[in-house]
Amino acid sequence: MRWTLTQRRLIFVLIGFFFCRQPSFLWADQGQAPQNNPSVSLSQSGAAAEGITDHEIRIGMSAAFKGASRSLGIELYRGSMAYFTEVNRSGGVRGRTIVLQAYDDGYQPDEAVQNTLKLILEDRVFLLFDYVGTPTVTRVLPLLKKYDNLHFLLFFPFTGAQPQREPPYDKLAFNLRASYRQETEGLVNHFLAIGRSRIAVFYQADAYGRSGWVGVREALAKQNDKIVGEATYARGTKYTESLDRQVAILQEVKPDAIISVGAYAACAAFIRDARKAGLNVPIANVSFVGSESMLKLLSDTGKEDGRDYTVDLVNSQVVPSYENLSVPAVKEYREVMDKYNPMPPADLVEADYKPLQYSFVSLEGFLNAKMLVEILQHMDDQPGRAQIAQTVENIQGFDLGMGEPISFGLQRHQGSDAVYYTVVQEGQFVPIRDWKEWFK
Amino acid sequence: MRVAKLFQKTMFGIFLLFGLIALSTSALCVYTVDKQLSSEYEANSQAIAQTIADSSLDLILNHDMSTVQSLIDQFNEIQGIKYIYVVNEEGEILAHTFVPGIPKEIMASNQLNTGTVHRQLPGFGEFIEVSSPILAGIAGSVHVGMDTGLIALKIQTAIGREIYLISIIFIVSIIGTFLLVNLAAKPLGRLGGYAMQLAAPGAPTTLKPEDIQALLERNDEVGQLARLFLYLSRRETPASFSPTSSLPAAP
Repeated sequence: MRWTLTQRRLIFVLIGFFFCRQPSFLWADQGQAPQNNPSVSLSQSGAAAEGITDHEIRIGMSAAFKGASRSLGIELYRGSMAYFTEVNRSGGVRGRTIVLQAYDDGYQPDEAVQNTLKLILEDRVFLLFDYVGTPTVTRVLPLLKKYDNLHFLLFFPFTGAQPQREPPYDKLAFNLRASYRQETEGLVNHFLAIGRSRIAVFYQADAYGRSGWVGVREALAKQNDKIVGEATYARGTKYTESLDRQVAILQEVKPDAIISVGAYAACAAFIRDARKAGLNVPIANVSFVGSESMLKLLSDTGKEDGRDYTVDLVNSQVVPSYENLSVPAVKEYREVMDKYNPMPPADLVEADYKPLQYSFVSLEGFLNAKMLVEILQHMDDQPGRAQIAQTVENIQGFDLGMGEPISFGLQRHQGSDAVYYTVVQEGQFVPIRDWKEWFK
Repeated sequence: MRVAKLFQKTMFGIFLLFGLIALSTSALCVYTVDKQLSSEYEANSQAIAQTIADSSLDLILNHDMSTVQSLIDQFNEIQGIKYIYVVNEEGEILAHTFVPGIPKEIMASNQLNTGTVHRQLPGFGEFIEVSSPILAGIAGSVHVGMDTGLIALKIQTAIGREIYLISIIFIVSIIGTFLLVNLAAKPLGRLGGYAMQLAAPGAPTTLKPEDIQALLERNDEVGQLARLFLYLSRRETPASFSPTSSLPAAP
């Protein structure tokens, strides 16, 4: 067969065109992109600016890794990293490994703002994840509003406060856990149902404490009731400090039950001092408290003092018990925790910190990570920040393994409404079988 | 070291004068600093209360009390601001910064009052409380408590510094005066000794001939007196004496 000159020219042009417009699959496996193709370079730098490269997805976290609330940040990180490690070892999300860039904010709002600026402007992460605390998150939200055009979203903060659930910031965050309002309302309703209507509140004097206080107040208002008394403590209060003054304030109002909205060190100190002062009513804590860390402090002191400080202690949780192996997510969580037992980078952890084998906090971190990976899987090959919100809002009825389907929507930026109530039995938190134990 | 009798009154006068200066300037300082700081803190607190009232309106109407709390926590970090609380139109405290709890005095007071009040809160201290209405008062009010203890501390610091400065000036002045007095008293002492020597020539003296020569050569009043004493001792008539006349020969 003889080619005409025109045919030869056409073939030559087609071959040339083919090599110029080389598809990505030809070089993707080699792990590097052609450097002399302007269109590809531009696309890559754009992706890198969004915290994503061909090999990794970089996400940012600011939490308390040091100080009085360090256990919350460390355990949340550990739970998330256990799952991310499993995913990364299995090939990552569409070939990209997940990198969690974490900074310590010591549970201080100003540090959280500085860390977020660093994550947004310097690290240029894809999204923000696993932030810890209400006072920190409420100060970070306006920052996200400021950089609205960059489409930064906060995923699954470890707080049940309202600001990220309501306008004007509700579109900037996605929550997995139930809110403090739901937790406190549940506690109030259970206490009222067993005749304990004189409810007092002990809370952290900041946005977190206020959020819980509002939850209790509104739940009581629905029943035409009011908070009978309140006492506060300063954020960062240590377990070694005395909370006798707070106990005295609440003792005066003779409460039937106390709802405590704080962090483990101060809440444990309050329970210790309350029991010593003879204030033996049920004391309930919300999920943020860090149940295992609080339990450890109270158990250790109990051994020294020869008494049980964990009696009449009720904790609400937003994840199922990590002892309940019938829950598929719990089984998976324990497996990856046992397998990897991850720790944050050495510069983020104080030498004396002893990690918890399992905890509600790390289970929540694990579930957060699992949900995030699912979201990333739903995105296309070249994910951009601007598409994340829509992707999440389209997730309906996803089975995270918790026993209830997770759904998001345009008007629903909170995946789960589940609240679990636990009590201490034989040195660990177990689900409450019957509230009538505290019937009055 | 003994101060010459002649100058003891001068020294006492200097003490008195400095005491008077220290007292009057301290009193003026207390008054000025107190007045200025109080009005400055009050104005700042009023501005803060107004800012919170303006920016918390939407939050209160949306029942977003955690953001209100976050807002007042930020302002509460300002030096001199000791507490902030926000009440609704019914006088119920919706957010506050009190630890370990809301003082009974605050609970018992009329929280709808938006004037400036002085408060003494046991366990907390003394405060000047300013208020600002939210939406003309129909949505509540914001109350800001300034620590008067801080103002007192600032006054003490200002007075302390002033007294420190005056003390340094006083000590320098005393030393300077003492040296000057001694400078004046020394030739007078020599003159006295010289007069005694002239009156009783055989009496023991510490004066050396060169001291007497120096005394007689002085151009000031002491030199004139020395020459006069010498002249009188030689029984010359006063009419022929002139203090500016040529020096008589030394004995």
